[in-house]
Parts: sequence; C-alpha cells; structure tokens
Amino acid sequence: MKAHRPTPPAHCSFDPEDWLRLARCWHPVARACDVDNKPHKAVLLDEPLVLYRINGQAVVARDVCPHRGVPLTLGFHDEAGIICPYHGLRFGEDGRCNRIPASPDQPIPAKLNLMTFPVEERYGLVWTCLAPDTDNPAPLPTMPRWHDAAFQQINCPPFDVNGFAGRQVEGFLDVAHFAWVHSATFADPDNSQVPDYSPQETDYGFTADYWSTVSNYPSGAEDRAPPDFRWLRRFEMHLPFTATLTVHFPGEDRLVIMNAASPVSARKTRMFAPIARNFDLHIPVGEVHAFNLRVFEEDRLMVETQRPEKLPLDLTLEAHIPADRSSIAYRRGLKKMGFGEFFLV
Amino acid sequence: MRNTLEVMVEGIWRQGEGNLAVRLTAPDGAALPGWSPGAHIDVHLPGGLVRQYSLTGNPASRRGYLICVARDPDSRGGSRYIHESLRPGQRLTISTPRNLFPLEKADRVVLMAAGIGITPLYAMARRLEDAGVPFTLHYYVRHPEQAAFRYQLGHPFRFGDCTIYHSSAGESPRHALPEALTRPATGTRLYLCGPDGFMDHVRQSALTRGWSPENIHSEAFQPPAPSAPASSDNAFTVTLASTGQRWPVAADQTIARVLLDNGIDVPLSCEMGICGACLTPVTEGTVDHRDSVQSAAEKSGPRQQVALCCSRSLTENLTISLAP
Repeated sequence: MKAHRPTPPAHCSFDPEDWLRLARCWHPVARACDVDNKPHKAVLLDEPLVLYRINGQAVVARDVCPHRGVPLTLGFHDEAGIICPYHGLRFGEDGRCNRIPASPDQPIPAKLNLMTFPVEERYGLVWTCLAPDTDNPAPLPTMPRWHDAAFQQINCPPFDVNGFAGRQVEGFLDVAHFAWVHSATFADPDNSQVPDYSPQETDYGFTADYWSTVSNYPSGAEDRAPPDFRWLRRFEMHLPFTATLTVHFPGEDRLVIMNAASPVSARKTRMFAPIARNFDLHIPVGEVHAFNLRVFEEDRLMVETQRPEKLPLDLTLEAHIPADRSSIAYRRGLKKMGFGEFFLV
Repeated sequence: MRNTLEVMVEGIWRQGEGNLAVRLTAPDGAALPGWSPGAHIDVHLPGGLVRQYSLTGNPASRRGYLICVARDPDSRGGSRYIHESLRPGQRLTISTPRNLFPLEKADRVVLMAAGIGITPLYAMARRLEDAGVPFTLHYYVRHPEQAAFRYQLGHPFRFGDCTIYHSSAGESPRHALPEALTRPATGTRLYLCGPDGFMDHVRQSALTRGWSPENIHSEAFQPPAPSAPASSDNAFTVTLASTGQRWPVAADQTIARVLLDNGIDVPLSCEMGICGACLTPVTEGTVDHRDSVQSAAEKSGPRQQVALCCSRSLTENLTISLAP
C-alpha cells in the first residue's frame, strides 16, 4: 500500500471531519465473487474505486490512472493486469504499473503506480479502508457462525438504497417496525407490542438481546415453532454501519444475517447481506435471495423518504419510545466516535 | 432486564485489614454462569440496597463467585451490612455477571490497583497468567496489613510480577510510579482500579508519558449507584453553575419541570429516561440516577451527568452546568 495523506474527494457529500472518521473504518465495497480480473467499479465515501483481481489477490485502488486521470473502469484487462484505455498503461499486483507502451524500455517510476487501499476478504465480501490509522487500526466487523462447518453461506446481491447508511442500519436494528412493514414477509400485524430489552455496550458498539413471540418463519410457510416459543434475536452492532442479527429458531436452528451498509455517499448506500444458516439447506439459494430482496424492498420506501435524510445525533431532534433503545444506543455510539452533532451534510 | 440468581453465602473471611472476602455459591451446588475478569455483579441487600462488586479470584474456577468488600467509613449501608450483618448460610439475590471493564487483546499488560480496587485486577492477573500474557501488577495500600490477597500475590507468577507499595513507607502513587508506566507501546494496555483521585493521577501521568488514551482502561469501583429507594424522593435544590440561580425541587417534581417553570430551556425528548437528550453535566452533588440510558460505567464514572427528566439528587443540592 502506498502511503498517502487522506483527503476527502472532490464534491464530497460528507462533512470533512466526519469523512475522515469514516475513512478510518473498514467498509465492504463488493462481493468477492463479483471481483475477477476485469476492472470492477465501486464508490465508497464519494471516492470512485476500481477493483480487480490478479493471481487471486483482490486490488482496490482509486479509479484514476495516475498518468492522465482517465478512470480505469473504462479500460480492459489481460493476464498481467488492467489497462488504461487512453495510453495503454497496465497495472498489476498491488496496483503497480508494469507496462508503458509508449516508452517500453524506460524504468517505471513509482509515481505511475495506482493509489491502492488495504484489502480484506471476509464473509464473502471485499472490505477496504480509505485512510487506515496505523497506530490505532479499526477492527473489521465479525459475523457469528460464518466459518462454522455446519452452516451454509449465502451472499445476497448488493441492494442499493437512496438514503444515508446510518438511517438504513438503524432500520435494521429497529424491532418496532416488523408488524407494520414486514407483515407480508414474516411478521405478524396483530403482534406489534415490543417487549422490553436493554442494549449492552461493547468495545465495538453494542449488543441487544430481544426476546419476542414474533415468528421468523416466512408468512404462509408452516409454523414449526412449539406453542409459546419465544424467539431470541441477538443484534450485534459494529459501529458505524455493520450489524449482525442472529435469530434463534427452535432447537439448534440458527439464522445469521449481516447488514453491512456501505456508504457510497451521504445519500446513497449499497447494502451487502451475507447470511449463514444451518437449516432448510435444501431450499435453493435463489429463493433465499428472492425472499430477502422482498424484505429489503419493504424497508426501502421508509428509509428513502425519512426526513431529515441524515441521522440526528442530537437526541432532542426526534422523539423516542422505549422500543427505540437500540436506535438510541446506536446514536450515542456514533456520537462517542466523534461524529458531528447532526450526522452528515 | 438483567437476570437475577439466588445464591448462598458459603464463607466469609478476613482478606487483609478492613476487608472481607465473601464466597457465593448456588444453594443446590449447581455451576453459576461463567464470567471474565473485570465483571461485576449487583448484590441485593436487605432494605432495598443494591451494590455492585467486582468478581475476583480465579476466573476459571466454577466453585462460586468471590467478592471482596472493604469497610467504608462513609458507608451508605452496603459495606456496613456486609461487615456487620452478613452471615454464612444466608441467601442473597444477585444479578448475573456483567463486564464493562473487559481485558482486551494485548502483548503486555500493566495493572495498577489502589486499595480494594485490587479485586478486578487480581482476577485479571490470574487470567493473564493462564493465558501466558506478560504483565506487571502494581498494588498501592496504606499499610502492608491492608493488602488483600497478599498470600496469593506473594507467590511467584511465571508471566507476571507483582509489587505492593505502602504509602505509610512513602511509596504513594504520587511518589512511586512504576517504571512500567514510562514505557508506552502500541501493544501494551494499562488497567486502573481504585479511588477516583488515584485513577485520575495515574491516567494523567500515563498520558503525559505518551500513552494513548485507547490503551488506558478503568472502572470506578465505588459506584454511587443507589437503587432509588422511595425514601430518596426528598426535596433538594438544583443550582445552575453558570448563573448561581437556585430552585427547590419538591418530591413530586422533576428537575426538568422546575427548570421549565422558571423559564430555563431544557433539551427534552422521551421524558422517561431512555434517550439521554437531557443529560447534563453535574459539577457538584451526587446524582440519584433514575435513567436507563446511561451504562453502569457512566453512572459510576468520574464525569457525572444527570438525566433531568427523571433523576434526582442524593445530596441537598445538585449543581448542573446547563446553559441558562
């Protein structure tokens, strides 16, 4: 990785100080299965990125050819790297320039290498960090059960939302909206009361154990839960934008969903959703994708029309009810990280 | 809601001058939920008192929970009850362990305790020894006889060293800071437990020696956490630090109501102590915390904040720094 001074990109939609705080964190930018040797486009925190793979290694770099500034995502590839369409400069491992067609015999100056960012592949996703703080590196979120041999791993296609990542994640944590928004997919419109629960602070954010009688079986499917079964939903919030939910089904059946919201800009979010489960393994993966897509679609209208678009960290700016304890813990956690009082421009 | 457990006092014994160790087991001898060093339990005592005590001893032991309680001359009832009235065989209700002061991954660890602050750090030392993580434990007491776990700490550790300092011999933290504090490193973490003055002093000393604040961990061990007995619904006064204006808060009024009635703008939202919108710094007095938004660590931390919509005061006056 080339050392560089972190600078918010031109036309940045975030407050510059908030951008720097977000740039120190890891965010997912693509599913690992969607990145091959061709240039793949992504945008993170208003920064256009090019992703490609060489010798199995994923590379994440600014989508700018260091020679004359043309985006490499307009280019193509060969076995040795990705090629800028303007003058044919080619970039391979670690973003290093390995060919200058106009002056093939000249040594390649370091300035011609791509500006790359660190890469971690986890939970079937490619994660990157635009401004790593080497003294105090940010932890990557963790996902329960993903590596458990008894569990199937599924990665839903990315889901784009025209809204702020903080609003999207807060919706994922919200236990009061099931009966109103998700009754067509899994929730019960006649069971809207939210039992008390209390989030517990952790070093990465907080956890919340929420016990309810709202089933997690798809609507219309046979309810296989014993009568009076209480469903435990364990939320783990990894600040700022990644949460996991572990649903405890009857017996040893478990479903883990990660909601990893990638902040494309202050008003656009690309949501990644790795899923791990140890039951219903015979159900085709396509059906799982389709079901989750329906659930995400149900949330879309709410998240895209909420006003203000940003997430007010000043708690006097919105009203709060006891069901919101996770939302309150979430806003308090973001505030403790130092984000602006009125998060995002 | 936190889960509670019924336990029995299996034994009580002296653990250094002025301290009592109390071992709690399940009445039927069953295993109690596991815990990690830094964890505490709420102990429910007669008269509606609830007190938090760190678990100590060997975290790998399943023989029960061990706490160690110093006799506090300013006791508001908790330590006095344990020292004067608690008996072996007695049953108590406790909460399940909860950890707000966990050990984080580290290459080396510096543990610094003063007085009864040794309790969580002794458990940490046992865990670090088991895990093979190098550590040094620095333990400050007034007189040698006051040290708890003196016998156990006197045995050599394979991965750690323990030093006990006696302020009666001039080895107070102000004069005898360990050399370990002069060598901050990225992988080294510092854990503090003891009176606020001790922790403030060590923290400041560490920061000026180049420690990163993220590597310094502490938990106040004397939480002013009362469990809101009805008798504390007393009248008190609230004072604005900025102007010195002072108003009485009657037993049936909230601080927020009194302030609003006097034309002071109060940042309110939920009005039931769950959102924290009205949290306001306290500069004088002791808060009777009634909100459920602050963590136990925040409620017992050095920088107190009061939820104006629901909390009260344990002192006759509470001075807050709210803009007039």
